[in-house]
Amino acid sequence: MAMEYFAGISDALRLTFVQVMILATLSIGIFLIGMYINLKKWGMGSTGYGDAPSKSVLAFPKTLMYQMNEHAHVHNQSVLETFVLDILFQRRILRRSPLRWFMHFTIFFGWMALFALSLAMFLVEMIHMVAGEAAHSLPEFMNPAVFRELLAVPNDIFSYILLTGIIIAIYRRLFVTKVREATIAYDSILLIGLTVITITGFIADGIRTGRFWGFDMPYEWAPPAALFHVIISLLFCIAYIPFSKYIHMIAIPLALLANKGGE
Amino acid sequence: MAKREPSINTENFTAVQLMELDSCSRCGECVEWCPTYDASGKDPGLAPRDKILRWREYMNKSYGLRAKLFGPKEIPEEDIEEFKDDVYGCTTCGMCATVCESAINTVELWESMRANLVKRGNGPYGKQGAFLKLIGEYKNPYMADNKDRTNWFPEDVQIEDKAEVLYYGGCTAELRQRKLALATARVLNKLGIKFTMLGEDEICCGSALIRTGQYFVEDTAKVNAQKNIDNIVAKGAKIVLYACAGCYRASLVDWPRLTGKELPFKVVHITEFLQDLIEKGEIKWEKSIDKKVTYHDPCHLGRHVGVFEPPRAVLEAIPGIEFIEMDRIKENQRCCGAGGGVKAGIPDLALGVASTRVEDALATNSDVLSSACPFCKRNLSDGRDAIGAQELEVEDVIVLTAEAMGIDLSDTPE
Ligand code: SF4
Ligand code: SF4
Repeated sequence: MAMEYFAGISDALRLTFVQVMILATLSIGIFLIGMYINLKKWGMGSTGYGDAPSKSVLAFPKTLMYQMNEHAHVHNQSVLETFVLDILFQRRILRRSPLRWFMHFTIFFGWMALFALSLAMFLVEMIHMVAGEAAHSLPEFMNPAVFRELLAVPNDIFSYILLTGIIIAIYRRLFVTKVREATIAYDSILLIGLTVITITGFIADGIRTGRFWGFDMPYEWAPPAALFHVIISLLFCIAYIPFSKYIHMIAIPLALLANKGGE
Repeated sequence: MAKREPSINTENFTAVQLMELDSCSRCGECVEWCPTYDASGKDPGLAPRDKILRWREYMNKSYGLRAKLFGPKEIPEEDIEEFKDDVYGCTTCGMCATVCESAINTVELWESMRANLVKRGNGPYGKQGAFLKLIGEYKNPYMADNKDRTNWFPEDVQIEDKAEVLYYGGCTAELRQRKLALATARVLNKLGIKFTMLGEDEICCGSALIRTGQYFVEDTAKVNAQKNIDNIVAKGAKIVLYACAGCYRASLVDWPRLTGKELPFKVVHITEFLQDLIEKGEIKWEKSIDKKVTYHDPCHLGRHVGVFEPPRAVLEAIPGIEFIEMDRIKENQRCCGAGGGVKAGIPDLALGVASTRVEDALATNSDVLSSACPFCKRNLSDGRDAIGAQELEVEDVIVLTAEAMGIDLSDTPE
């Protein structure tokens, strides 16, 4: 009998469900501890120009709020403008290099969208499981099998968008001399992690649907492949953030806000 | 066993600055544009990205996860010394901040690193170490008698005892680039604007101390800023004019920050003041300057505080001038190389950067390379001499203005 599974937590994989939940909790826990350590580290700074180091974990949020409200001499753009144009649209990258912007934007956009879709799938399954017997009274699209099909096309689209960005990034790191020479482990770990996550996502989906990325692997391998993808995604994309270059996903928006979009 | 102390501390950094170290995506854009990195023959240590990386690593070795678990990791003293040399190889031009994709306020970061290293006993660099003593003793970094700031003005120059307008001349113009100070004074006189000056009560604006990370020592910069403010107020001034980009920036940005108070007067660059008068039709030009003129934006006037248009408006209003822009202007301007203590600390580097900027000007076929700062003028002139481009005249906008207003400056003393 073919095993049904969705985000890797369906009833047929009870064990997997428990494992994933533990792992997710663990990842979030590690992430929080890491962020606490970072906040402590940032909090070693002062809350104002020329003041003594604060050493309080609240120093960073306080200084950030202060700076965001301060009058700047050159740029005084609104938080909304910074959020939309600098954080979401990333125009500072676009101004410097359209290619690099395209690369980064596809990675950012693909990653965010897939993250949101995975979260939605996870929630639907959770609701389905919690509802138990009452599940049949849920709307039709809340059925995991139906919902997964609904997500299939957007999933494909965003995966390829992400992959496009990753391919450009790998190409630059390998073949553009200046970029290659400046690459250090800090940079490559980020890209390798992202590549492995993306490729395993494609493979897991490929095995399940029997399409190209499955490379004719047996269908039984689909659940473990999906599980592997989920595990490394959780570890790399959540737990590892505070300890690696992934921190830029949090720190850059903060720097943009603190400096009102920058010079 | 006692736990090892971290090799570095976080003195003089704000919490946001420490966060900014983690926000560098290592895109390398700053490296492409940094003038000192370029003029040093691409010394990797001078690359802004590399300085951020190194301090981030120092932070993680001292306060990161590993340090939390197993104690801080020692950073060899030679590494910190080398880092100090590199962080002083920077004119604080701000180009890296302009292009930074992560919007890091790099200039303030460099200044904090410098202040931290001064406190630690590593900084400042070379001759910059004398600034404190000189400014403390002479009230200017040139070891000049402070009376000489204005006592050389020819008799015709009328400086009021008290007035609503005060011209803050600055050490470089009053003591070294006097043509510029004289031009400013005579232009104001000719326009009928009553103005006063601080004379021997003027103290260095503090730019040299702040940019080289020495501002906090004995609170010198703060004390001097407050004295200047008090003296300006005592003169009854409501508007303070500056013809020096460094003093202008220090007054506008650094004085309020050091003293923790808003300034009780308006800070205005002379070109802003002139632009206003030109628009009102209040300037009468008497001479045509039939030359091709290009303009170099001083970092501390342009990128740091956004005064880009006024000097251009003045140049374009002067009869006869054919105004030509260089390739790199305004936000993307290339630094003259003098700022950030580099002229005093690493003169060869300053000269290298200046030479490149002079070449930018030569590429426009201009007769005159103008600027709006005596410090830029001095270094650009040195750069011009270094590459033997004597045909290029280096002159300040205010001097060109004076000439076009028919003012003679040939009696400027040395
Ligand atoms: S401020 Fe200017 S000189 Fe200093 S690192 Fe940045 S670009 Fe280079
Ligand atoms: S431009 Fe900014 S983000 Fe890019 S390498 Fe330089 S400091 Fe880092």
